[in-house]
Amino acid sequence: MRGTRQVFGTMLAPLHYVAETPYLVGEELGNVFATRSALLDENQMLKRQVLELSKISLQYRNLLKENENLRELLGSRARLPDEVLIAEIIGIVPTVGAHQVVIDKGSDAGVQIGQAVIDSEGLFGQVVEVDVYSSRVLLITDRDHAVPVQINRNGIRSIAGGTGRMDQLELENVTITADVVKGDLVETSGLGGRFPEGYPVGEVESVVVDPAASLSRVLVRPSALLDRSRHVLVVFAPETRDEVLP
Amino acid sequence: MNPAQGGWLILASLVVALVLSIFHLPETWPQWLGWLRPAWVPLFVFFWVMALPHRLGLVSAWIFGIFVDVLFGDPIGLNGAVLAGITYIGWRFYERLRMYSVVQQCGVVFLLILGGDLVRMLVHDLSADRGWSWAVLVPALTSMLVWPFVSLFLQRLRLQFGVE
Repeated sequence: MRGTRQVFGTMLAPLHYVAETPYLVGEELGNVFATRSALLDENQMLKRQVLELSKISLQYRNLLKENENLRELLGSRARLPDEVLIAEIIGIVPTVGAHQVVIDKGSDAGVQIGQAVIDSEGLFGQVVEVDVYSSRVLLITDRDHAVPVQINRNGIRSIAGGTGRMDQLELENVTITADVVKGDLVETSGLGGRFPEGYPVGEVESVVVDPAASLSRVLVRPSALLDRSRHVLVVFAPETRDEVLP
Repeated sequence: MNPAQGGWLILASLVVALVLSIFHLPETWPQWLGWLRPAWVPLFVFFWVMALPHRLGLVSAWIFGIFVDVLFGDPIGLNGAVLAGITYIGWRFYERLRMYSVVQQCGVVFLLILGGDLVRMLVHDLSADRGWSWAVLVPALTSMLVWPFVSLFLQRLRLQFGVE
């Protein structure tokens, strides 16, 4: 079945580009007719951003070194950085209730089923189907999607399931005594081995504690720009799994 | 389908229907506008079956459905079954349907699209965690409203290119 899908999907890939043409053309025209002052403004803004980011990156390098040293002292393996592949969203799946998008990188770029996809703000989804020149990504808000997470502040583990709404995730199995409050950052825990650890998933939006129930209802606002991003990153986790435990 | 006799027009219009059904509105527009999308593919298939019942058969409708399945990420065969059902009804009753007034045809289109969407929703409910909702009525309604224009437009094209 997967083979059939791949063959048909590869044949149909150009249709996504055709359907996307108005936006691609619009983007091109925007580039051509951008005014000088707008470009200068953008340039200024980007320069400022580069400065800020390079400052953070300097600190990051410092911390990375320190972290490696500490890990060495503890005798555990250093964490390798993830590699990423930039992809562009070329289509969305039109069925109501299905949160899936199509990206322009497929098996010829080395994409595999199960890889995590992030955007500039946080976890975006995972690859569920790979054609030769495109692949299909299931968003974290789809009702069929769930991702193992932890609260960044205190490491409480849970699973963030999609609710079918673009702006909401729900944490499963959070007991009413768990220390989860509004504003907590939720990040991937890396358990289960499918998603790399430490990518932001969202921010706790509300915690409803029903004293009669044993679990509280925790809603999370995804940090990724699920209905805005045009460019996403496919994460290639470093190959460590084959030599983890003796 | 015999390409020499304008089968390319049928095929091209179906490809256009596929593109229309994956085309999306700008991200800045409200999301619910996207739900109003008519079911272009079943509409176009229904028109061709009714106009030229000898050109579009059950098997070709079913095979075309596989393309729709792959494009939408649905279970393989689902849209094939739906399209084949619509094709069968069109093929069985085309003489009567052609005699209907526009309003009556719109009613038939509403029921056909609704029936097809209910089947799709049932399968989605079984294969994925999507469930039932009243949203199923929306594409049927919008399809019904665009049907007169679709059928007029395709009829004009068909006569223009002399597809028999």
